[in-house]
Amino acid sequence: MSMRLTVFAALFFFLAGGAAHAQLSDAGDPEEFAEELKRGEADTTEGKEIDPWEGFNRKMFAFHNVFDENLLVPLAKVYRATTHKKQRKGIRNFLDNLKTPVILANDLLQGEFDRAGDTLGRFAINTTVGFGGMGDPAERIGIAQHSEDFGQTLAVWGLDTGPYLFLPFFGPSTLRDGFGAAVDTGLDPSFYYRSDAMATAKYVRAGATALAIREPLIEPLDDIKENSLDYYASFRSFYLQSRKREIQNGRTNYDELPDIGDFEEFDEE
Amino acid sequence: MNFIQKAAVAVLLAVTVAASPAFANDAAEQFVQKVLDEAQPYLELEDEQAQLDGIATLVDKYVDMRHIGYFVLGKSARQITSEQKEEYFPLFEDYARSIYQEALTRYSGERLAVTGSVDRSEKNIFVQSKVANAKPGDEYADTLIEWWVHVNNDGEMRIVDAGADGIFLSIEQQETFTSIIADNGGPPAGIDALIENIREKVDD
Repeated sequence: MSMRLTVFAALFFFLAGGAAHAQLSDAGDPEEFAEELKRGEADTTEGKEIDPWEGFNRKMFAFHNVFDENLLVPLAKVYRATTHKKQRKGIRNFLDNLKTPVILANDLLQGEFDRAGDTLGRFAINTTVGFGGMGDPAERIGIAQHSEDFGQTLAVWGLDTGPYLFLPFFGPSTLRDGFGAAVDTGLDPSFYYRSDAMATAKYVRAGATALAIREPLIEPLDDIKENSLDYYASFRSFYLQSRKREIQNGRTNYDELPDIGDFEEFDEE
Repeated sequence: MNFIQKAAVAVLLAVTVAASPAFANDAAEQFVQKVLDEAQPYLELEDEQAQLDGIATLVDKYVDMRHIGYFVLGKSARQITSEQKEEYFPLFEDYARSIYQEALTRYSGERLAVTGSVDRSEKNIFVQSKVANAKPGDEYADTLIEWWVHVNNDGEMRIVDAGADGIFLSIEQQETFTSIIADNGGPPAGIDALIENIREKVDD
């Protein structure tokens, strides 16, 4: 089970950032905005404070990248070469649709009943009219996809992010979100079905999820690796920034960004 | 206006201010739209090098590299020596320019248009933009591209950061730079190490 869990969670998480859908709706309730923005406030620890396990994390990151470069990326390239963009979109939709129970449970745990309704509606529409989840007609009628997971639920409940944590296969996370990912595995009904067919299905799902997440990130991560002075620190920053925004349901809390401040005085010494 | 009227206006204003912590800023929006309009012809060029050169001109004109260069040093901005500054800033500008070039050429062939703005303070405004001519299924159709505009002491607007979907470049650079400085023993030695790191990257 542990291997399945890790692979699955890795995929699930690896690109929480890249997979996060930007949804900036202009309409809405200002109080709700404020509430959503507040969630990220506990997550303000920067730099060293957020990464007390940096030594360990760097070793794990280096180890993971060997696996990433030699196995995951070559497979993702094969996946890209053998599928059409539309097919990959369909596969992503299908995998997203499978996440419905986890998203729904977390919508409810967060008291987000409107979003829970969206999740149910999307599932009903996409599973039927959307050919078992391959299509996303719900999106076209205005019910946008959103992600939720137990890490986000814990954030809504006020739990601090805890230290940054990078585990091989599992990808970037934090103590809170890593724990959340384990809980999400238990929120998925497929966890409770034991049969050979189900075991195979889970492996296929984990593998497909890994490729579906990694494939669109081939160039972005290559760019970061190429341009960054410190790939580890850049990767951590990109991950934490995008994860924070995801927890805030796709909004940015501008007040919380570090102060770029006035540096003109610095040149007047 | 009599006293009552003035008081009523004051109360109204106070309520409006309290109710909306962030205002749109027309001047900053116009500034960014102007920059984007100037970038447009470059993004349409077929020749990649001409595209990069065009963007470089705009970056030099509108992006406050000195400001960003200090910001990304974090606390070390106060400790960098004048000798180090002389080495650091030209290298940083080369490095940061190339990052902006690469980020912007991703949108080549697209037309970016300002969609709104958020005032964080009088001097810090976030101008939001999107791909205006996106076709359905376009990779960047839903990407929110933001420009952090800073008003300097002379009242001039300069860009100090760019972000996509809430991920900001300068913030990422600050984390990277401060990490290198710290891992090399902090300033001043850590700053020397950082300068060498940038030099290697730029020379590549």
